[in-house]
Amino acid sequence: MSERLVTFEDVWKEYPRWESAPTLRTLLVGRRPTATAGRRWALEGLTFDLGPGDFVGLVGPTGAGKSTVLRLASGVSTASRGRIRTPPDTASVLSLGYSFDGTLSGAENAYTSALLAGLSPRQARAALPSIVEFAELPDYAEAPLRTYSDGMKLRLAFGVLAHLHPRALLLDEVLAVGDAHFQQKCLARIDELRDAGTAVLFASHDLEQVKRHCNAAVWLQQGRLRAFGEAKEVVGQYESASHAETLSRTPVAAASEEDAGPLRVGENRLGSQEVTIEDVVLTGDPECAPGSIRSGGRLEIAFRLRAHHGPVIEPILGVTLWDDIDGVAVWDINTQVEGVVVGTIRDVADVRLVFDSVPLAPGPYIMDVGVYEPDWQFAYDFHGNAYRLVVTGGPPSKGLIRPLHAWTVSRRTLP
Amino acid sequence: VNAVTRSGRNRSRARSASRFRTLVVHLSKRELDSLHRTTSLGWAWPLARQLAQLGVLVFVFSNILDLGIPNFPLFVFMGLLSWNWFSSGISNGTSSFLNRRHFLAQPKLPPIVLPAVAVAVPFVDVLLGIPVAAVLVVVSGDPGWTLLLFPIWIVIQFVFMLGAAWMLATASVFFRDVPNVVGVALTLLFYVTPVFYSLRVVPEQFQWVLQVNPLATFLEGYRSAVLGDPLPGLGRILGVTVVAITLAAVGQHVLRRYQPRFSDYL
Repeated sequence: MSERLVTFEDVWKEYPRWESAPTLRTLLVGRRPTATAGRRWALEGLTFDLGPGDFVGLVGPTGAGKSTVLRLASGVSTASRGRIRTPPDTASVLSLGYSFDGTLSGAENAYTSALLAGLSPRQARAALPSIVEFAELPDYAEAPLRTYSDGMKLRLAFGVLAHLHPRALLLDEVLAVGDAHFQQKCLARIDELRDAGTAVLFASHDLEQVKRHCNAAVWLQQGRLRAFGEAKEVVGQYESASHAETLSRTPVAAASEEDAGPLRVGENRLGSQEVTIEDVVLTGDPECAPGSIRSGGRLEIAFRLRAHHGPVIEPILGVTLWDDIDGVAVWDINTQVEGVVVGTIRDVADVRLVFDSVPLAPGPYIMDVGVYEPDWQFAYDFHGNAYRLVVTGGPPSKGLIRPLHAWTVSRRTLP
Repeated sequence: VNAVTRSGRNRSRARSASRFRTLVVHLSKRELDSLHRTTSLGWAWPLARQLAQLGVLVFVFSNILDLGIPNFPLFVFMGLLSWNWFSSGISNGTSSFLNRRHFLAQPKLPPIVLPAVAVAVPFVDVLLGIPVAAVLVVVSGDPGWTLLLFPIWIVIQFVFMLGAAWMLATASVFFRDVPNVVGVALTLLFYVTPVFYSLRVVPEQFQWVLQVNPLATFLEGYRSAVLGDPLPGLGRILGVTVVAITLAAVGQHVLRRYQPRFSDYL
């Protein structure tokens, strides 16, 4: 077995609860709180390890203990039982720049972050120009930080990180704030570190990212280790568990009277039905018939979400379009990946998704829509293969897209 | 082998001491920068505050309620420098973990730095006050050889405050009433500290209160340095020195002992 860099051996963690924490009053009155009654463990007997070059994704729903694992590994918090070993030069990005000061400039804050991350003043000064460069902020380096966006703060935090050469790196879900380009840049930097032998432990909601970048994954469920192994396999298990969860939460034909048109509960309509999708309407340009659009024209998808049993917080909306002939996915978009704030739905929410121009090849397409639990644990309501979209504008042909285009032919007569 | 590990341990201790200094200095500078950058008077503000306080006290206790203390402006100014540093250092130090909990989420930042920053920041007001004090000394002071002890009094007060801040900051994490208790205690302490009055006017039966108040000893020390007043008795000098060092040692120990649990309670 090769050298292990980060090890968790039967790690248990319990957080003190405030109602059982001592106050001056309990101290003065002399009554000890009954802390042992109904203890709740945040982590229960966790064992896993990382070797050099491992890139391990931590997956699981909110509250499963992902952040706790990272806090323990970083040393910010200590385990109640068990043993954790990490290299002394472990670096971490657990939260984004809350140690930043809004009045001071980006460069000054970068310097502070570098010091706090463990660099000496000399190293920090030397690293400063390249931190600013990595963060792509040279024009703003002297501007006060309060003028920065969240994405810019991430850049700065990551710029500092790019300068450490840690043997272990811990990342909480910080990448999510960055724009796609910078996320790629950060991931590329992480890949580089990993190639040089750094062990990376990375909590993420983005399962695709975990599948693509990690070689292993840890799946946590309510503080317990559900699976630890090859990333694609573990994520696959997590996803199928979430599918099974959706099935188990789908009522047995209970909503039959609500079944409308193409939807049949338990067949192409799945989910717990806590939130339902209603009135899905696809509209094209004014001259188009309902459910059809012109190739290269406009498409608007409108639907209504209705919460049935109290408010639902930050659900994910997803829309997938398939080519109805070959079954090829044309697009697969959701509000989480695109950082759209859906917010809390108390009663109803009207959703509009507008495409200014859809350069699809003419032909029949079919659409899924879904509304999901914020961690993809299960679907609230999923309509599969439920809505037809016909793209007009010429005879059907091979190929999926037909971008705007123009031909030019110039004829010449050669002497 | 023993010697090697010992020298290794000494080296790592030296390294962590130097990192402690680096972080305290940098974070204090940063806090002051952030405080003064956006104001038009900038660094003159703390000085203005002290001078305003000085002006009022001098006016009240020379013209309205004359206490008959010679060299009153310099006498009061010494009291103000020491007291203001003490009270803002201790009250900020006490809540330094509660107010900067995001810093405690930084694995590479030793928590012991934060109360020290809270003590160091108001010390800058003392540094700014020293030129003013120097002018007053030249005009009306009567320094003797005891002036040489001035920096030593500062060091003792610094060590005393560090220890108290470490302990109170640690306690505040677990008992949220502590900052309030400290606030009330400081208000009371002001009146049993001879900032604007002299120990000599205190009736015999209350003298012991001032004798056990370390701040009273500090003030007498500063005043003996610039006014030629007698030094506090040797017993009291040794007393505050021992108390300061003990407080710092115990405070540091308590903080290190409980710091693994900080982030769980914040």
